[in-house]
Amino acid sequence: MSKLNPDFILEFSTDEEFNPNACINCGTCSGLCPIGLDALPRKLSRYIVLGLEDKILEEKESYFQCLLCKLCVENCPTQVNISSNVRTARNYINRKIYKI
Amino acid sequence: MKKDLKQKIGVYICECGGNISDYVDVEKVAKAVENEPGVYLVQTTMFTCSDSAQIEIIEGIKENNLDSMVVASCSPKLHLLTFRDVAKRAGLNQYNYVHANIREQCSWAHSDRTEEATDKAVRLVRAAIAKVRLSESLETIEIEAKNVAAIVGAGVSGLRSAIDLADQGTQVYLIERDHFVGGRTAQWGKLFPTNEDGKELVERLYKQIKERENITVFTGADIQSLDGSVGDFKLGVKISPRHITGACDEETSDQLYKVCPQETDDEFNFGLTKRKAIYKNYKNAYPENPVVDMDLCDKCGECLKVTNSNINLEQEAENITLNVGAILLNTGFDPYEPKDGEFGYKTIDNVITLPQFRRLLDMSNGSLEYNGKSIRDIAYIYCVGSRQPDGENKHCSRYCCTSAIQSALNVKSKYSDVRNFHINRGIRTYGKQETCYVDSTKQGDVYLQFFEKSFPTLEKIGDKTIITLNDALTDNETMEVSADLVVLVTGMVPRKEDTVAGILKVPIGSDKFYNEIHTKLRPVETVIDGIFIAGACQSPKNIRATMASTLSATAKANSLISTGKIELEPIIATIDTNLCEWCGKCDELCSYNAFEKVEIDGKMVAQVNKAICKGCGACAPICEVNAINIIGSSDEEVEVMIDAFVKDVQFIEDHKAKEAEKTVGKTDDTEKLKKALPEIGKKILQSLESEAKSVPEIAADIQHPADDVLYYLMSLRKYGFVKETGEINDDEYYLYELKQ
Ligand SMILES: Cc1cc2nc3c(=O)[nH]c(=O)nc-3n(C[C@H](O)[C@H](O)[C@H](O)COP(=O)(O)OP(=O)(O)OC[C@H]3O[C@@H](n4cnc5c(N)ncnc54)[C@H](O)[C@@H]3O)c2cc1C
Ligand code: SF4
Ligand code: SF4
Ligand code: SF4
Ligand code: SF4
Repeated sequence: MSKLNPDFILEFSTDEEFNPNACINCGTCSGLCPIGLDALPRKLSRYIVLGLEDKILEEKESYFQCLLCKLCVENCPTQVNISSNVRTARNYINRKIYKI
Repeated sequence: MKKDLKQKIGVYICECGGNISDYVDVEKVAKAVENEPGVYLVQTTMFTCSDSAQIEIIEGIKENNLDSMVVASCSPKLHLLTFRDVAKRAGLNQYNYVHANIREQCSWAHSDRTEEATDKAVRLVRAAIAKVRLSESLETIEIEAKNVAAIVGAGVSGLRSAIDLADQGTQVYLIERDHFVGGRTAQWGKLFPTNEDGKELVERLYKQIKERENITVFTGADIQSLDGSVGDFKLGVKISPRHITGACDEETSDQLYKVCPQETDDEFNFGLTKRKAIYKNYKNAYPENPVVDMDLCDKCGECLKVTNSNINLEQEAENITLNVGAILLNTGFDPYEPKDGEFGYKTIDNVITLPQFRRLLDMSNGSLEYNGKSIRDIAYIYCVGSRQPDGENKHCSRYCCTSAIQSALNVKSKYSDVRNFHINRGIRTYGKQETCYVDSTKQGDVYLQFFEKSFPTLEKIGDKTIITLNDALTDNETMEVSADLVVLVTGMVPRKEDTVAGILKVPIGSDKFYNEIHTKLRPVETVIDGIFIAGACQSPKNIRATMASTLSATAKANSLISTGKIELEPIIATIDTNLCEWCGKCDELCSYNAFEKVEIDGKMVAQVNKAICKGCGACAPICEVNAINIIGSSDEEVEVMIDAFVKDVQFIEDHKAKEAEKTVGKTDDTEKLKKALPEIGKKILQSLESEAKSVPEIAADIQHPADDVLYYLMSLRKYGFVKETGEINDDEYYLYELKQ
């Protein structure tokens, strides 16, 4: 059971570039990802949108595995800035867990 | 026996470009019918409906002086009118043409049994020939039509229809059951996709109505009865009075609302507010005067004391009869009302419907509150009362995804700290409405999705309602959403209180909305001539779709009655009054009420109303004294058709000849097919002449993309031109070679 936490996204980033909400869950990015992340790219976005902090921390490796190759960004039909969102997530994890 | 049997019949048998001739041997059919009595000429054609074939037929009929024709082709549903027109252009009476369906009824139905298909085609064509021999020249029935229309329902659909019909010169009676016009559109505040205000839209239409002298608006008007038929309907209408007999300005109205002690739930606001017995739906509702609700009024007399009120509590209802040529039904819909307890409706106090939410939003000023509590988090549960796996309403209501999302946009632009959670079953913001969805994701709305296998559950904890669902977008993770207000996105359903359908005998579809003749081809006509349907009474529609159907019904009605006369099919029931004894059985049976009881030479007999009878034939067999005949399907005609149908079909050749012909046909076919091959097909065959090749090798050789080559190679294989050798080359590709 997870509780939706709509405030989380604000704490996460208020940058205009940051747009995980635009994801329509088509799965293109997950299909294209050359390294096959443990948690699929769209899920990394989804956890942020829903504010599932536990899940983000649980999957922190995936956020760092991403190559930032932008294959997904190029092909996303709704122009989700997936790789820059991933970097925002890394930033958050660094602050939150690694305290750097 | 009729005197003038047709002597020179032309029979045209269609191949339908292989659709028929691949299974029915049309040449054999032609041979088998050429000696039928009356037949003068038999022809087979590739596409009988093509312009060139039509011209050829017409010339042939004229040259040979033919007196009738039979066309054997596809279903008459498709081309009956085409060939009637051909007959007319050739100078024949259009009823001296009979159709045989040898595609749907022969080649398509029996594609696995070609001999029998051919046999059946012969019989059908012979029956058609027998029937056309007896055919008479008929004239279409012409009746007078009043260029007057009744439009029932003055929502946006009825208002728009009235304006357009009036502009085309038709006298219009606009009949509205409510005391104010505009229908539901006035209830929604800002409308998608333009954010125009619904009330302003209604005002704009009403002003145009007022500018036209040939529109009469009746409010508080209820249809009571219907008599007559297309072109000449008589509609009985009861008009309930307003009880305010002169002008009543705003100030006086406000005073009246104040003094009136009687109060009830305001239906216009779905019970969110109260109204008095003297009321208007909303301030600028039209017509301008308020109305007194006599069901609520107890005649206390307080209002009579207000100066200039012009109130008359004793005003009586009036019954009038309107004589009209056509009737347009634009009676709209009701929002679905959830059952008690359905997603917490009426059992959890902060659960409301989308229509209620629209009213709440429209009326709210400064802060968003419900039940005295301020609202920040709003959860929308979609498809309530639509797409029900178990309930009655299987349909998608089409307006609601967009409307819920647009509500979320509106509420956030009015109250920026609101947060929206859309708990949906797949978003259907089709067409241009998709921009609403994109805007909503941009403003940070959150979308969660459930499937019909597991519906969300609701529980009130403290001031919040907690919605629990398995979110399909997050691996069916069980999620909890906490909301201050839950909006049930309810669909559109047919009007609950529908009195007209019964009186007018409008057909109702399995979805309970009014039913058109044909969803695709005749979407605004009903089976009753002269009665049209448009707007949301036919199926869920947004305003744009409502207008499209409204204008189409308007055009249809106009073309029917504007010339003052209507042409009808002459194929109807006739009564032999010598035989008829008026038992009334036919009258009971006819679904269209075409029979009347009349007196002829001192005897009561049945008479058929030509304008109503559809020639369906249902009544003919019920008549015990055989007094009913359907023109074109008289006993005599049916008998000769049956005789023709059961007559032996003998094909001339013996078995061997047939076999021989088959193989000849085959090689012929292959040669023909080879000639018809596209360029790339021919190149592939050429390339394979020298040696067996793989697909990439052929592609390189003939310089075509490999995927194209593969596609055409497979067709060539299917038609027996090439086969695989069973070997592979060094690159591990299969090799193909020519088939001998
Ligand atoms: C919550 C909600 C929001 C919506 N928002 C939008 C939007 O933003 N944009 C949009 O395009 N569409 C919207 N729609 C759809 C829109 O309401 C319909 O498309 C429109 O109202 C259909 O118009 P109509 O004239 O066919 O029916 P109605 O508006 O229902 O009008 C029918 C009229 O017929 C009258 N009537 C009924 N029975 C009788 C009778 N027996 N005799 C005489 N009169 C009768 C009724 O009193 C009424 O005045 C919304 C619908 C809902 C439920
Ligand atoms: S490609 Fe874009 S829209 Fe599709 S799932 Fe990935 S992020 Fe979402
Ligand atoms: S339009 Fe949307 S909310 Fe309405 S019934 Fe269809 S899918 Fe459900
Ligand atoms: S069923 Fe026949 S006999 Fe009876 S009323 Fe009708 S036409 Fe006359
Ligand atoms: S043919 Fe059909 S429509 Fe005509 S009178 Fe008989 S039952 Fe009625």
